[in-house]
Amino acid sequence: MEALIAITIGALTATGVYLVLRQRSFPVILGLSFLSYAVNVFIFATGRVQTDAIPIIGEGRIYTDPLPQALVLTAIVISFGMTAVIVIMAIGGYLKAGHDRVDLDEDGR
Amino acid sequence: MSHWIIVPVALPALIAAILILARRTTITVQRALSLAACIGLFGVALALFSAATTAPPEAYHLGNWPAPFGIVLMLDRLSALMVLLTSVLALVVVVYAIGADWDRKGRHFHALYQFQLMGICGAFLTADAFNLFVFFEVLLIASYGLMLHGGGRDRVRAGFQYVAFNLIGSTLFLFALATVYSVTGTLNMADLAVKLPTLPEGDMGLIRVAAVMLLMVFAIKGALVPLHFWLPGTYANAPGVVAALFAVMTKIGAYASLRFGTLVFPPDLAATGGLFADVLLPAALVTLAVGAIGVLGASSLPRLAAFAAIASMGTVFVAISGFTPATTAAALYYMLHSTLAGAALFLVADMVVRRLGDGALKAAGPGAFAGLLAALYLAAAIGSAGLPPLSGFIGKLLVLSAWSGAAALVWTVMLVATFLMILGFARAGTRLFWKSDPALPTVPAPASSEPFAYAALIGLIGLMAALTVFGGPVTAWLDATAAGLYDPSAYIDANRLYEEP
Amino acid sequence: MSLALIAALPFLGAILCSLAIRWGRAACAVVAGLVSAAALSGILAHAPGVLDGQTVRTQINWMPALGLNANFMLDGLGLLFAILILGIGVLIILYARFYLSAKDPAGQFYTYLMLFQGAMLGIVLSDNILLLLIFWELTSLSSFLLIGYWKHLPEGRQGARMALAVTGGGGLAMIAGMLILGQIAGSYDLSVILTQKDAIQASPLYLPALILILLGAFTKSAQFPFHFWLPHAMAAPTPVSAYLHSATMVKAGLFVMARMWPVLAGTPEWFWIVATTGLVTMVMAAKIALFKDDLKAVLAFSTVSHLGLITMLLGFGTKAAAIVAVFHIINHATFKAALFMLAGIVDHEAHTRSLRRLGGLRTLMPVTFALTALASLSMAGIPPLNGFLSKEMMLQEAAATVWLTPWAMGLLATAGALLSVAYSFRLLAHGFLGPVRSDYPHAPHDPGPGLWLAPALLVGLVLAIGVAPMLTAAWLVNAAAGAVTGTVVETHIYLWHGLGAAALWMSLAAVGGGLATLGLYPRLRKAWDDTPRPEAKIVFDGAVMALTGLARRITDGLHDGGFARMGVVALAVIVAGSAAAFLTSSHAPGSRTMLTVTPAVAVVWIVIMTAMFAALRFHRDRLFALILTGIVGLLVAVGFAYLSAPDLALTQLTVEVVTVLLMLIALNFLPKQTPVESSMARRLRDGAVAAITGVGAALLTFALMTRDAAFAPISAFHLAQSKPGAGGTNAVNTIIVDFRGYDTFGEIIVLGIAALVIFALTETILHNRDAVAALKREGRASRAGDRQPMMLAVATRFLLPLTLIVGAYLFLRGHNLPGGGFVAGLVVAIAFLVQFIGSGFAWSQARQRLDHHLVLGAGVLVAWVAGAGAWAFGLPFLTSGYDYVTLWPLETFELATAAIFDLGVFLCVAGAVLLALASLSRLTQAARDARDDLPKGPV
Repeated sequence: MEALIAITIGALTATGVYLVLRQRSFPVILGLSFLSYAVNVFIFATGRVQTDAIPIIGEGRIYTDPLPQALVLTAIVISFGMTAVIVIMAIGGYLKAGHDRVDLDEDGR
Repeated sequence: MSHWIIVPVALPALIAAILILARRTTITVQRALSLAACIGLFGVALALFSAATTAPPEAYHLGNWPAPFGIVLMLDRLSALMVLLTSVLALVVVVYAIGADWDRKGRHFHALYQFQLMGICGAFLTADAFNLFVFFEVLLIASYGLMLHGGGRDRVRAGFQYVAFNLIGSTLFLFALATVYSVTGTLNMADLAVKLPTLPEGDMGLIRVAAVMLLMVFAIKGALVPLHFWLPGTYANAPGVVAALFAVMTKIGAYASLRFGTLVFPPDLAATGGLFADVLLPAALVTLAVGAIGVLGASSLPRLAAFAAIASMGTVFVAISGFTPATTAAALYYMLHSTLAGAALFLVADMVVRRLGDGALKAAGPGAFAGLLAALYLAAAIGSAGLPPLSGFIGKLLVLSAWSGAAALVWTVMLVATFLMILGFARAGTRLFWKSDPALPTVPAPASSEPFAYAALIGLIGLMAALTVFGGPVTAWLDATAAGLYDPSAYIDANRLYEEP
Repeated sequence: MSLALIAALPFLGAILCSLAIRWGRAACAVVAGLVSAAALSGILAHAPGVLDGQTVRTQINWMPALGLNANFMLDGLGLLFAILILGIGVLIILYARFYLSAKDPAGQFYTYLMLFQGAMLGIVLSDNILLLLIFWELTSLSSFLLIGYWKHLPEGRQGARMALAVTGGGGLAMIAGMLILGQIAGSYDLSVILTQKDAIQASPLYLPALILILLGAFTKSAQFPFHFWLPHAMAAPTPVSAYLHSATMVKAGLFVMARMWPVLAGTPEWFWIVATTGLVTMVMAAKIALFKDDLKAVLAFSTVSHLGLITMLLGFGTKAAAIVAVFHIINHATFKAALFMLAGIVDHEAHTRSLRRLGGLRTLMPVTFALTALASLSMAGIPPLNGFLSKEMMLQEAAATVWLTPWAMGLLATAGALLSVAYSFRLLAHGFLGPVRSDYPHAPHDPGPGLWLAPALLVGLVLAIGVAPMLTAAWLVNAAAGAVTGTVVETHIYLWHGLGAAALWMSLAAVGGGLATLGLYPRLRKAWDDTPRPEAKIVFDGAVMALTGLARRITDGLHDGGFARMGVVALAVIVAGSAAAFLTSSHAPGSRTMLTVTPAVAVVWIVIMTAMFAALRFHRDRLFALILTGIVGLLVAVGFAYLSAPDLALTQLTVEVVTVLLMLIALNFLPKQTPVESSMARRLRDGAVAAITGVGAALLTFALMTRDAAFAPISAFHLAQSKPGAGGTNAVNTIIVDFRGYDTFGEIIVLGIAALVIFALTETILHNRDAVAALKREGRASRAGDRQPMMLAVATRFLLPLTLIVGAYLFLRGHNLPGGGFVAGLVVAIAFLVQFIGSGFAWSQARQRLDHHLVLGAGVLVAWVAGAGAWAFGLPFLTSGYDYVTLWPLETFELATAAIFDLGVFLCVAGAVLLALASLSRLTQAARDARDDLPKGPV
């Protein structure tokens, strides 16, 4: 299981990185989403994974570490806000410039 | 316990919320609120500063939970200093923004401005690694908003890169923090400082990875080559007034490197040892060189200012990488100075751009500049290049003498860089302010004399002069601060780890 | 008067001048003159004591930590220079008053002049080398302003930049040298350093320090090969040249050499570097001076030559030579300052300074001629003028010095003297003698006394010192030379050294040879003009141009605005750095028992991997890629649910839905396809970087997952305290709203800011003409805002209240079961979002009852109050309490103040998301309007 998760995180990261390195805004945004999936699963997984151990207090149960889950919640929300912003920026850039390339040209840089 | 420690975060948050609710009120009301908030922040910062000067470090246990289980804010000399610096700059810049009417050029300027201050102060005050991430995000997203203020094609496109690159940085930050928690089971910085020395041999490799990743995150914020590529485009395209406020944002990277490099990963820690110093010094020297070359090669005044900012961060990191009390004190002095100098330079650039339409380094039409603006440019340039009589020269002397000993390379790079910057500033200044092209149409006199904007700018220059004149007390204070960083026991004790509050 | 005060006076004067200009140029000049005079009298008040060999000191601790203190001292050397700086300063101020034309901004001139005077005075009075360095760089800066005073002249700007580059650069080298010196001596105070001769000369760092300090001195004093800046500084107004290049700026270098003489001089290194440089400079500059036509250029190179002479004398390192050096400093200052001013008069009257266009002024300007004659003869070293005295003594010393061979030094010194005779006589002959011409640009005649008074006084000194040196100068020379050599000096200066003196014959040879040279001048001149030689300015400008061009190429090449490259560099650095850090340390693999993989898990895993691969493969089809991304997100949620993280699953699910819908709307405004742009090579590069990063992440994950934390995780406390401490059974939720509520506070603010940014950016888009135009194009093209199918519309309207109830439910149970304010807020937002999609934006907007800004602001406010409420009980921010409440028909539940905070979260999230959507909807609206504008819209 751990191996599968590790591979998944690796794959998510790789996908994200590759898309982030594209030249148009939309794939870059998708790439960033993949990176945030990757890191969210990473935070969660490195808190060690367990099945049937939800961290809700009850009689004689075992619990998985709740703190990484809380951290992931925060991370998810933040990356959601960031994604929303960068999406609208992509729209604005495209509408104002007439193209959606991410590289800056002479006057822009 | 003093609730004042949270105020630098709580006050701007409150005012920002009110500003959102009161968005339909007149600009005057919003300006009054924002200005009042900045004045209040300055007052609180002063109070905290004097408290930190006289008393030992003080902790603020949020939610009244004991450390390390809850989140703790820490007020020590360093955080108090950074908050004070932030509040001073915030006050000056908000006055300029009002004086130059920048806040009318888009929506929600003041709300975003207050949120920005909240984020910066929160980052300086927190003693919890993950909470540092949260406030990095707060200040970043606020900075996105301010950077985009007023819109404009190039600004939005440069902003996209700024956001995208920082999202990569944030992802890295999370990777690092998760690794730290996974290895140590804690997030409180003091707790980490206590636990890491006893870290088992077998876990050292992983904690070193976390340390490097954290350092990279701070290097991105601090615009350290080769992680600086986001800065020129962003600062050159940001509204001048916002770029001026950003002068303190790069310092957050420097602050965090210093904090982690002395508290969590001190030079004598078995796991990381000289890791921070070994990474920072070469990178800092290259950063200084790249910045200086950029100052000489820049094609417009805002871009020149951006590279001057990079060079100043190079100098700051050169000093930080010494990781001795002397070099650290020098680093702090130069951080104070370069924040003021950088802000002044960006404000001058903004004046020029708003006067001429662009900041290209070429002769303008007759009557473009009154003597005052040229004089202010001269002062800002002297400050940025590190020449007397302003504080940059003192700062350079401090760094150079602190780096004495086997420092031929450091000295050479710093002095040659200064030379290049003198050339660059002289070239830019003579072209822009001395030369005037009679072929061009006469530039009409400005609509408004903008007294507040000029007052803000002159205030910054005055602060640099004060930093020079009162260099004695300032350096003495900073020496004590640096000494405290290398003996963090008081800082750690203040957390009252594992005790009921 | 305290030295510190005296040193401060000129700066005070600078400020006064900048103010006094309101009352006119005269007032300005008077103020400047009075301040300088006051400073001079202050100095002279100390003179008697200093002449008795005392040293006056004032000390102000400035930055003891750095060793930079405002310590001043006045000894013989300082006295000599202070008198020159201030005395000649007064004369210059007088002269400039009449020289500057009405259109020159006199206020700036006197301000800069006083700044410069203060910097110079500071140098010669400093008792702390760091303080000296500050004043040193200040002279570079203020001279930059003075030389560039006539901004409209390109020569002025270039000359100013050149001077700043050369002297400022040299100053930087000197900083290093002085720091080394101070560290050898253990103090930056001169009075300490000057006692450390042996330690300094024994130190291995002596030579580097010497070279660095000399770099500073040579550049300032225009010594070969740094001499080229000085002639170009002549673009400055003549009063500036007269001041900077006779008595002050260029003498600063000499001053430092004299100041440091006791500790640096006397070694072979010193002799060979300093004496040789001085000698070469003296001869070479004198030769160039002979062939210049511009009066000021002749004087400039003659200045360089005489500075070389003095440098050479200091280089000899003997007491006798030092005395001569000091004496010549005085003499040169007198006759050279006078000559510059006289040259200025000629320029002022005849409107030309070219010796080729002058001549015959003897009869037209008798006064000017008389003064010029005396000054130039002194420069040539003709008795009974002061130039003769010091030149004789110089030749005497040179003859007695062994350099390479016993006679080489004497010979070359004589050659130098010869050339100086030649150019001095030429200046007279070609400028003033000969027939009166008819073609002067402007009919010349003597000016009023305002202009010639100052030079006249100086020429008077030239004569007086020449005739009665023991009476007029010896005392000052003794004091100064005593300070330089650190011994008691009793000089005896005569006009006549007797026939036995080698110097007599050498100077006879010089005079004779000089006259002969002048006789041969036309032929020599032709030869000179025919031989090509590098023009310093062209070389320098070329160098600077090349440097600047290189800098621009490097800068623009490095920062080309390419995003992918900055990403690749960053990722490479991050991965490489992490790997290096890991490999240079010890690591023990973990020993945790791993979970087993069930078939279901395997299937999910295969699907997620496939989806990712497909997303990579088909990312150019944006809609498809988006859907695949959504699938991956949903499967991540499934994974969370499987691995005991229901809250994560719920949040991931809702966030995923909102994000995907958001992006769907966004796609309306963006191209639907990504074109094929990047080359195969680039795709391979990116693929490699991606693969390596991914492998790194995977390895790190595996290493961490298979081991336990080194120390007991703090979350044990959270589990234990969740119910008793925070009053909730859902540990994740209690962490979110209580244990780490502060994180959440920041997090919802991030969301709120995001909404504000989106709103503000939308505004700028809607106010940007191009953008709106593009928007309308998109609107026509896309099917955004088409009518919604009736069924969907109706369905969603029934759905709305239902979803709202679900939201409320999720909110209330959150503290104990998966849910909470955040998820609830998103669910509600989704409800409205579905409205948007189901019923169209216009319909929903029309029914939008409350302003999203209010919801958002209220949310932040509520959360804030929930946090600050604790203050009322003297508890820290965000401290919560709870109690049990029964609310029919719900079962008893505890209501924690954390719930109020959670309410803030709820409002903030809902408000933020709705504000963002509303902003987007306005874009769609604009596009839709465009479609309705069309004559026949698609139905």
